[in-house]
Amino acid sequence: MISRLPNVPQWGFVSGRISSLEAYFLPREFFTGIIIQERIDDVIPHLQDTFLRDYLAPTMVWGDFSALSDRCFYDIAISIRSDCPSSIPADIFLLQGDYLNLSSAFSGETRFPFPVGILSHEKLSAIAHGDFADLPKPVVEAGGFGEGGVCEVFPGVINAFLDGAYLRHLLTLAQGLGSEMIREYVHDKVLAAIVIILWRAVKQGIPMKRYQQYLLALDEFTEVIAELAGMQNPETWQSAIGGRIGDLFAESIELEMDDQISDFDLRVTNHLTGIARNGKLQTAGPERVFAFLSGLLVEMQNLKLVVTGKLNRIDQGVLKQRLKDCYV
Amino acid sequence: MLPEWIELGRGLCYAGAGLAFGLGGSGSAWGIAIAAHQCAGVLREKPELFGRMLVMLALPGTQGFYGFIAAILMMTQTGLIGGSVLKITLGTGLALFFVGLGCGLALFISAIKQGEASAAGISLIARRPEAAGRAILFPAFVETYAVVALLATVLFIIFLTQPLALKSLGI
Repeated sequence: MISRLPNVPQWGFVSGRISSLEAYFLPREFFTGIIIQERIDDVIPHLQDTFLRDYLAPTMVWGDFSALSDRCFYDIAISIRSDCPSSIPADIFLLQGDYLNLSSAFSGETRFPFPVGILSHEKLSAIAHGDFADLPKPVVEAGGFGEGGVCEVFPGVINAFLDGAYLRHLLTLAQGLGSEMIREYVHDKVLAAIVIILWRAVKQGIPMKRYQQYLLALDEFTEVIAELAGMQNPETWQSAIGGRIGDLFAESIELEMDDQISDFDLRVTNHLTGIARNGKLQTAGPERVFAFLSGLLVEMQNLKLVVTGKLNRIDQGVLKQRLKDCYV
Repeated sequence: MLPEWIELGRGLCYAGAGLAFGLGGSGSAWGIAIAAHQCAGVLREKPELFGRMLVMLALPGTQGFYGFIAAILMMTQTGLIGGSVLKITLGTGLALFFVGLGCGLALFISAIKQGEASAAGISLIARRPEAAGRAILFPAFVETYAVVALLATVLFIIFLTQPLALKSLGI
């Protein structure tokens, strides 16, 4: 009668925390302010205004900046997750790092690029040593494991295999919350990821049937994947993709060949940020957490872009163009 | 005082009084809890904002007091407290019961909604502490309807019990 949201007290608490943290979000002008700095050392005072301020040390090496940003994002996301009655909003953002770690594990490496999200480094190490007992369910369901759990996936397509499992895992997580906003966000994110995977395959001249094998079956996207895989010319893809993602694709395909995929990726990220911003209007609930983490991820990506861009002396105009829409 | 001494009209009147303070108090507790959880989350990151959020936290508590005032008024006007006990007809008792129920419901819902409005205001203060003055307006607007409910209840109780008082004086 009054409120249908379960676990209101816990969501209220974490949403209060988020309200405080949101005050630290930075507008686009902040990033353009960093871009116009002449020397990389002039950037440091600006970073004191960011979420990274607690991570900056005099001994910091600029080359570690990307890992530092990732660690900051992970620390905040995991801390927020521990206060939430449901881990799903945070898991959706931590999952990508887990699958990249998993990719390293499948290659036999025992050093992982991302901090712990859902899969612990112990489990990943076990996978690296050929023990697949603790694999996430969507990976197991993707097939590729024979008698006695032996991995039969050809090493050359392991990334396509994991991409398919990652997207299926994302969809499963999004279904678990019953939030329309999160479902819409994940739907568009998965659709855009499928388009990018297949688009890259076409550009590299890799047969799409190989990707199709590992991406399928992917719930409501099965038909779209089959249709796209049957059309070798991406210029005809827009109608098959459909919706807002189809419109963004049509805008990107008009550009120069080299910029098409990065431009599409940028447009999709901005579109997803637009969806996530709706969560700001909620006083308490999973959408609020999800929106905050989405904004934090974009902020970290922008910080990495401007700092690594400055380090690599990339043109100011290019950096400004590649900046993603900010949460605030 | 034997139980059979309480006639049906009087019983209905006190049942209404019970609903007024019971629902008002419950709503206030619920509303404060909603605001308190949000407030606790903000304080985890910014403890210095406690002073600015205190009023927002306390506002949903007023409905509990309004319910208490309505109940006390019913008791004094009917002579249960501080006066000679008046005989209440079934019709008057029924009317007072629904006055108490209406008051209780208005207080119950407004207290919960005020808690939600306070939580929204607390979120705003967390992001922009300088907006505390404006943020307090959100729950204050909800408070208006609790005050209106109390006023209507007070007027109803006074006017419904007036003929009884006059009769008891022999006028």
